[in-house]
Amino acid sequence: MQFRHKGQKPKIENENEAVSITSLNEGERGIVSHAVGGFGLLRRLAEMGLTPGTEVKVLRKGLFSGPVEIEVRGVALALGHGVASKVFVKPLKDASHG
Amino acid sequence: MAKQLRIALAGNANVGKSVIFNQLTGLNQIVGNWPGKTVERAEGTLHFKGYKIRIIDLPGIYSLSTFSMEEIVSREYIAVEKPDIIVNVIDASALERNLYFTIQLLELEAPIIVDLNQIDLAAKKGIRIDAEKLSKALGVPVIPTVAITGSGIAELLSTVIAVAQGEKKLEPLKVSYGREIEERVRAIEKIVNAKLPQICKVYPARWVAIKLLERDADVAGKLKNYKNGLEILDYAEKIASELEKMHGESSPVIIASERYSLASKIAKDVTVIEVPPRISMEQKLDAVTTHKIFGYLVLAGVLASMFALIFAGGSLISASLESLLLNFSLWVEQWLPLFLPQVVVNIFSKGVLGGIIAGITIALPYIVPFYILLALLEDSGYLPRAAFLMDNLMHKMGLHGKAFIPLMLGYGCNVPACIGCRIMETERERFIAAFVVTLIPCAARTVVILGLVGRYVGLQAALALYAFDLILVFTMGRIAFKALPGEPVGLIMEMPLYKKPSIKNIALKTWSRTRDFVYIAFPIIVAGSTLLVALEMSGFMNYIVWGSSPLIAGWLGLPVEAGIPLIFGVLRKELTLILLSELVPIQSLTAVQMIVFSIVTMIYIPCVATIAALNREFGWKKALAVTLIDVSLALLIGGLAYRILSLAMPT
Repeated sequence: MQFRHKGQKPKIENENEAVSITSLNEGERGIVSHAVGGFGLLRRLAEMGLTPGTEVKVLRKGLFSGPVEIEVRGVALALGHGVASKVFVKPLKDASHG
Repeated sequence: MAKQLRIALAGNANVGKSVIFNQLTGLNQIVGNWPGKTVERAEGTLHFKGYKIRIIDLPGIYSLSTFSMEEIVSREYIAVEKPDIIVNVIDASALERNLYFTIQLLELEAPIIVDLNQIDLAAKKGIRIDAEKLSKALGVPVIPTVAITGSGIAELLSTVIAVAQGEKKLEPLKVSYGREIEERVRAIEKIVNAKLPQICKVYPARWVAIKLLERDADVAGKLKNYKNGLEILDYAEKIASELEKMHGESSPVIIASERYSLASKIAKDVTVIEVPPRISMEQKLDAVTTHKIFGYLVLAGVLASMFALIFAGGSLISASLESLLLNFSLWVEQWLPLFLPQVVVNIFSKGVLGGIIAGITIALPYIVPFYILLALLEDSGYLPRAAFLMDNLMHKMGLHGKAFIPLMLGYGCNVPACIGCRIMETERERFIAAFVVTLIPCAARTVVILGLVGRYVGLQAALALYAFDLILVFTMGRIAFKALPGEPVGLIMEMPLYKKPSIKNIALKTWSRTRDFVYIAFPIIVAGSTLLVALEMSGFMNYIVWGSSPLIAGWLGLPVEAGIPLIFGVLRKELTLILLSELVPIQSLTAVQMIVFSIVTMIYIPCVATIAALNREFGWKKALAVTLIDVSLALLIGGLAYRILSLAMPT
């Protein structure tokens, strides 16, 4: 589990498991594994509660690869498509969980 | 003399902080800017139990890092100005995320009281919070409130006084980190304490240490001013890298994760989940208003009815106010010459009074209903939904969904729209948004487009002008996005729950914004109008008209007299139509001339009030640049339109 800077080599072991948040469907859940991007974006995402290990649920996806609305720590958060595609999660199989 | 007390309200956005502020201060508030910053500063006073309490409403923020100007302003105020008490307003329905901010206030060693607000919303989500337990966990008083109804506000104030008088002691939780981080924070703290006594007088040494570990650019900048600063920076840098190597994450993320795990632990301990939430009215409304198809229909409906209301109401009030004020100015013109020379009377009545009347007939009728509806949309929580729907399109201009909000405001009036661009995170985004805002036809320009083209050429032609304007806005936005250096910022936005707006809060918001508008716009409208009247009376205007005739008649194909309304239109755009009809019989104009005149009015120059707003937000250089670009664009498009349309629709 890690957040890393642009350009740094990925060090995650089971990288294959992690998918971008944009590839989850509405109603699906995942555990944040890492995010890619600049210093500012990584910090902002962490500050809004998207730290590694946090469970997120996709509430809604916008039209034509639009923004993604997720639930994180009991709060609904809208992420632009570009931002959302930089956040990687490990999908949780059991959609009814929690 | 009353004892003085200074308190600050601090907390996340969407927690009802401004409602609390309005409940506390009512009409006794001043909204302005932080010195030298384009960040809103709201301050008010109230008297309670023999105390005169000054209240500062800090901007709504999610963190005390250096992501935005708002965050820097807030933390500097708390650390440097040291208010007596900080009321940390937290949203009971989003406790964990709000506690993340509370933890940072505790790290800043600020004297805090927690206002646990929106317990009604939390109840709707099926959440109940044990305030007593939360108070024990944080070591500070926690007062549950429902700001919208005013419930709990009196108790909040009593607690503030009790703490100020020392009757209630604060024993704030000492935030400690996991061993690996804690050891490093202490190591840096020790050296900061020993070598930077000046900084430690203002900021807690431990806080400085944490910020250095987080690679906070602002704190690093402060250290560079001191002799030992660089040495300490190097040391902290080394320690931060060490930590990052161990965790494989960047240090702000490591520390944010730690804070969140504490916030999460506290939140779990104090939350009593009562009942599983039912699908509420608000959730259904949320689902419809963000729906892939219905969402856009609702958005279109909201916008259309908003503008219909503003125009129907606005023109009605405007007309009656205008006739009333006209009588007044006739009366002045009749009686004043008995006391003053005629020249002075003319300048006064046409210039000064004319300016004030112009201001009142736009400000009151169009701005006030506009502000009321805006406050309604804001307080209900609809605006983030609109931003969500429009995010994709806004990205094409290098902006994100939030920019849709000032753009939408622009259709009412460009002045609040330019100020509304503050919701964008970076200076670059603010400026691009404000630039395209000036190209959006405001209420005054709509009067011209509908009154001229809509009435005489046809509604379809007027609508075509709007469609053309949208394309122009989009194209210019895209050009500005490509031309200005910098990276576009993506959307990260909280989607608050829908709430029932309070009438009192809407009234107060409308009042303070209207007042703000009057302060920005009126002086400049009056000055501009006086100057133009003086130019006209001294005969200078004729030279200007003569000088501009090649442009007006030759290039744009308009009657020569059309230059005068276009010059006066800088004061208020709808004046162009009124003056034009006084100078030229409208029926004598060709359809092409009407369309060209409307196009030019639509884009040629931001009105003086907008220029003043641009100047306030971005400085005179950028205000001038926008003005020049808009004027050249209007002339270019106007001239081209004249030529193309003359071929397409010969008369």
